[in-house]
Amino acid sequence: MDFRPLNDTERQQLISALRGNAEGNRAILMDRRDTSFAGTTDEVTDDEVISAIKSVPCHY
Amino acid sequence: MFQALVSTASRLLSDLNRSLFRRPLPPAEEPVSFPERRAYQRLQRVVLTDQVCRTIFEEYAGHRHSTRGEEETGWVLLGLREADETVVLATLPAGAERSAGVAHVRFNAGAQALASRIVRLWDRRLSIVGVVHTHPGSLRHPSDGDFQGDRLWVSQLRGRDGIFGIGTADGETIPGTLIATQPRPHVQCLGELCMTWFALAEGDSKYRPMPVHMTLGPDLARPLHGVWEIIERHADPLDRLFRQQAGVTTEATNDALLVQLPLAQPYQRLRLVLERTRVRYLLHRGQDVIEVDPQANQVDHGVYLVLAELAGRHGTS
Repeated sequence: MDFRPLNDTERQQLISALRGNAEGNRAILMDRRDTSFAGTTDEVTDDEVISAIKSVPCHY
Repeated sequence: MFQALVSTASRLLSDLNRSLFRRPLPPAEEPVSFPERRAYQRLQRVVLTDQVCRTIFEEYAGHRHSTRGEEETGWVLLGLREADETVVLATLPAGAERSAGVAHVRFNAGAQALASRIVRLWDRRLSIVGVVHTHPGSLRHPSDGDFQGDRLWVSQLRGRDGIFGIGTADGETIPGTLIATQPRPHVQCLGELCMTWFALAEGDSKYRPMPVHMTLGPDLARPLHGVWEIIERHADPLDRLFRQQAGVTTEATNDALLVQLPLAQPYQRLRLVLERTRVRYLLHRGQDVIEVDPQANQVDHGVYLVLAELAGRHGTS
C-alpha cells in the first residue's frame, strides 16, 4: 500500500475540491483503478442554471 | 549514566531528523475558494446536434401552422460550454403559457426551470448557453430591444458569452428540396424556414455572426416536449419536490410524466403518473403495486400526505 504524501499542488487541488463539495455540492472525481483523487468536473449548480433561465429577457 | 547518555543522544538525533526532514507546515488559514472555473475564450462557433436542429425546425414549422402561428416563439438552449465553442444538447420550448404576440415572446420560465433539473440529471455540466426566438417578418438579426435585454443577461452565462438564434420564414423555397442548406456559415435554411445564429459577449456593442456546425447527437429534452403541457401545469410543486427530496427521478412516456421517489422498507418507491387529466400515486412493494388516492390538489401535497400516512403506520406497527 502506497502512502505517498501529496505534493503542494495536489494538496491545494484536493482542498479546493473538498471545499467545493461541502459548500457548492460539486462532485469529486475518483480514479476507478485505485480510488485516488482525480480532480473535479465542470459541474454547474442548479441555482446557477435556474437563475439564468428565470432571467431570460423578453425578446422582440 | 549510560541510560542518560542514550536518552540525550536519542533526543538530539530526533531533533536533527525533524530539522532535516520535516515537511513545511500548512499555513494557518487556507484561502477559501471554489475549484477554479476553466478559462473561457470568446466563442468561435456553435455546434448543434442533429436532433437539436430537427427539434427547432420541426417545432417552428408546427408552430407556424398552429392557432398561435402569428406569434413569436422560441427555445432556451442547454449545452456544454467548451473553451471557445458551445455544444447545444437540449432545447426547452417557450411553452403554451408563454407571453407572446406578433412582436414579442417571454418564455414560461417555471416549466423551463423544472425541465432543466430533469435534463441535468443526465449531465451536471449542462448549462444554459443561449436562446432562440423567431421573428414574424424577414429581420434575420436580433432587434434593438433584444440587445437591451441580452447585453445584461449574458453576464450570467459561462464565459459571459451567449448564443442567439433568430428564426424567420423568409427563405427561398425550391420545390422538391428535401434537405437543409447553409448559404452562409451562420445561416441554416430548410425550405422557407431559416435560422440565423449570433453571439453576444458581455461588453459587446453588437452581436457577431456565429458559424454553426452540426454533429450527431441527441436533444436531451426532446422526450419532455411531448408532455410539456403536463410540465407546465405541475412545474412549481414538482420543482419543490426536486429541491426537498433526494433521489427524485423522472421519465417521459407518450402521454404521461413519471416521477419516482425512493422509499424506505417495506416499500421501494412511490411513483407518480402525471397524466393530462389526473395524477396517480402508486406504491411499489416487490411485485405489488398499490394505488393510493391522497385527495390532494397539488402533487407535492399529495406526496407528503402519502409519506405521512406511511410514517404513521410505521409508528403504530
